[in-house]
Amino acid sequence: MRRCHVASSRHSITTRVNGAERTVEVDARELLTDVLRHRLALTGTHVGCEHGACGACTVVLDGKLVRACLIFAVQADGADIVTIEAFGSSASNLHPVQAAFWEKHGLQCGFCTPGMVLTAMKLLEESPTPTEEEIRAALSGNICRCTGYVFIVEAVKAAAERMVSEGTTP
Amino acid sequence: MTDTVSAVVQPKLFGARVKRREDPRFLTGKARYVDDIVRPGMLHAAFVRSSYGHADIVAVRADDAERAPGVHLVLTGAQASERALPIICDSTLDGWQSTQYPALAASRVLFAGQGVALVVADDRYLAEDAAELVDVEYSPRPVLSSVEKAIAPDAVPLHEGWIDNLFIKRHFRGGDVDAAFAAAHGTLELDLISHRHSGIPLETRGCIADWDPAEELLTLWTASQTPHLVRTGLADVLGLPESRIRVVAPDVGGGFGIKGHLFPEEIALCLASMQLERPVKWIEDRVEHMLACVHAREHYHRIEVAYEEDGRVTALRALVRVDCGAYSVYPWTATMDTGMVLGILPGPYRIENYECRAYSVATNKCPHGPYRGVGRPAGCFSIERAMDEVAHALGMDPFEVRRRNLVRADEFPYTSVTGLVYDSGSFLEALELVLEDGGYTEMRELQEQARREGRLLGVGFACYTEQTAHTTTEFIKRGVPIIFGYDSAIVRMDPSGDVSVQVSSHSHGQGHETTFAQIVADELGIPMESIRVSFGDTASTPYGHGTFASRSAVLAGGACVLAASRVREKLFRFAAELLEANPDDLDVGEGKVYVKGSPQFNHAVSDLARWTYHRPEKLPAGMESVLEAVASYDADPGGGTFANAAHLCLVEVDPETGGVKLLRYHVVEDCGEMINPLIVEGQVHGGVAQGIGGALLEEFVYDEEGQLLSTTFLDYLLPGTTDIPHIGVSHIDTPSPFTLKGIKGMGEGGAIAPGPALASAVADALSPIGHAFVNELPLTAERVRRFVAEAKRDGSRSQTAGS
Repeated sequence: MRRCHVASSRHSITTRVNGAERTVEVDARELLTDVLRHRLALTGTHVGCEHGACGACTVVLDGKLVRACLIFAVQADGADIVTIEAFGSSASNLHPVQAAFWEKHGLQCGFCTPGMVLTAMKLLEESPTPTEEEIRAALSGNICRCTGYVFIVEAVKAAAERMVSEGTTP
Repeated sequence: MTDTVSAVVQPKLFGARVKRREDPRFLTGKARYVDDIVRPGMLHAAFVRSSYGHADIVAVRADDAERAPGVHLVLTGAQASERALPIICDSTLDGWQSTQYPALAASRVLFAGQGVALVVADDRYLAEDAAELVDVEYSPRPVLSSVEKAIAPDAVPLHEGWIDNLFIKRHFRGGDVDAAFAAAHGTLELDLISHRHSGIPLETRGCIADWDPAEELLTLWTASQTPHLVRTGLADVLGLPESRIRVVAPDVGGGFGIKGHLFPEEIALCLASMQLERPVKWIEDRVEHMLACVHAREHYHRIEVAYEEDGRVTALRALVRVDCGAYSVYPWTATMDTGMVLGILPGPYRIENYECRAYSVATNKCPHGPYRGVGRPAGCFSIERAMDEVAHALGMDPFEVRRRNLVRADEFPYTSVTGLVYDSGSFLEALELVLEDGGYTEMRELQEQARREGRLLGVGFACYTEQTAHTTTEFIKRGVPIIFGYDSAIVRMDPSGDVSVQVSSHSHGQGHETTFAQIVADELGIPMESIRVSFGDTASTPYGHGTFASRSAVLAGGACVLAASRVREKLFRFAAELLEANPDDLDVGEGKVYVKGSPQFNHAVSDLARWTYHRPEKLPAGMESVLEAVASYDADPGGGTFANAAHLCLVEVDPETGGVKLLRYHVVEDCGEMINPLIVEGQVHGGVAQGIGGALLEEFVYDEEGQLLSTTFLDYLLPGTTDIPHIGVSHIDTPSPFTLKGIKGMGEGGAIAPGPALASAVADALSPIGHAFVNELPLTAERVRRFVAEAKRDGSRSQTAGS
């Protein structure tokens, strides 16, 4: 049986992405991941499962961690979005969380890394001196297939210590 | 020409915990995976996939799809079969039965999810819309959804011309098995099952095919561990010379063996691009990945063990069946898992009488291929569980049983009953150390304390030896069509004295950009910052096999050593002329070539490089203006070098729910000399986590009709941060006598032992209730409750017997 083809309607949305206002024409059914990655060329947001289970597409939307694969771009109209590209453009200016992931070998293939880093940053914003249990709970929605999480947990601990000692905790 | 330095000491980078140079691009979101690549005029593809486990294709009606908005092409199996050969990957072993795995099925589908048609459109959304309009008419056939059904006497062979449903039957016999069984103090017969799961890289597969009609060049960007092998395979099926194909594997989001294949989808994409003369991209979605990529580790073992009163195992008989799914995968064939188990089942133990029958069974399931450890997780599960059962039968400590059977340090090199040469190792030492470093005594105390509180804690350990970096002789023995005998490297110094290194391996998490730079820096006496390592592009890297089978550090690393030392020889020849010295008296360090013992006589490497290219008149007579070398390395004699490890864990079991909570984990690993211990530890952690996933959570479940029931991460569970505890790692470094620098491979190892260690711990936890033979992975709640029931039956029997 032939499935009824529903033509998508077009919408103009305006969002603030990493501090810059961006206006894009999108289909109603277009996912936020696709708009970020393919329309705005912000390919640091990765797609691992497209059903909200792996955390690779984690971004910050209006201050909250969200899975960009579960959000239609039209839902982000007027929102403030932060992706990995907002932090540290090179080795010399990494955010302390990024630097700690580097120092502690908290990444291998790198595919989960942007989502993992954003989630860790959010944790440290809300809980500057987390216990290991709290770190593991906070990262439990982000799947890493390479590291066994050991060095990721160490990296988050190291980042917390550094940010507290330097007074850079938000 | 000279300066006043009195000594040149460049600390060796080999062995240093250097942090990875590749990391900033991953940390900042600037890495370039295949889906991040955009080509001008690029179109997007979606597959139509079989909804049946086994069916004839009666008709494919694509008219509606072809007329749908934005659609450029619908490619059917019939069309594809006119332009590309199917993937054929034949073993050279006697009795092999061959399969033909088409780019798209034309007349029959053999597993649910197999590609039937490809739709190409302006964007992925439109391609998926149109894919739903392709009307495929099927005529269902009986489905062989299990090994049991496939080997039933009345089972119809799945493939034309086959006499049964076995890709291959292998038989090995060594020593005098019958005599050993006849003379044994006791024997055991054990059934062990590891269920189907897979590597599940977080990045799915994906590729962009781009046929350039002007250059007559086909470029395929693909998420692959083995770009050169993909190129060779594509050339064969497309009938193009390899010079007309360039394969680029960019940053790849995890592989674990799964991305080391030529896939039908890659061929279909190439056909579409060649027809449309436009680039075409396909990014696999997660459901497709679960249905139709490559599955692994579905093993059914029946083993018989003969043992003596003192715990020595004198003989082993095994019947090994692996559910290899519908097709033989390229370039491995369907023999990998059975061949590996057949060779390595006796493991680190001195078992001199051994017989094994190993069958690769064809079923209506997704093809089965190599995944981290290949056969060894299941093999280790069988032999380690057997050791525990021998201990139980004799009332002995399982450590003591292992101690009496492990090959000892003074026996190396040790030739196993199957002819494998264990070059060196620390089998017993690793086991002793893991009990010490992992806190075995404390675990037992915690267990006692928990038992007093009515809770069930269990301690388990397991050990293994892993053949790594195996090359020519081993792959000839396995009967694969391509002998993965070496890997290769080009080391090229430019006029500034900087060095580019191109390797045939592929790094997708392993850190080659760092470790190979460490090696080359030492060889050339220059800082790592002056060295750039690249890989993945067949147009610029030397031919070689890629990254798999725990081989890259040894083989590509060895090739880097050889190529860099050849460049160093050129520098020495040139410097010797200028310094009026003998090349044998020269050394390198701190960016200089200097006279040993008189370092004030030196030339900067950067000067020598510049003069080689720009001042050729300074060169010795006959020396070419080239500072580069290409080398391949095969770690002769090619049977591999054997790494080893021991794993220890502590679990808590809830007998009511069947839940297993992993509390502690420790590994002692011995991979010989380490280039970079930080990276070694990361690899161990990751392997262990994948092993734990396969031991506790991960399982592909098929129903009777061959429909896969676990197609999302909601029904196929991956271990997260709260499932994996801290994993402690201790090192022993017994060098290999067979390899350059004494390196052994280690990438897969972590994944091998978690299954038996956890199963042993669960059995130990249940021991206050009674004895249960924990023989099936993963240890889902349902299965653990079954083991609890078994322990209760045993407990009540013992009580009855004792009263």
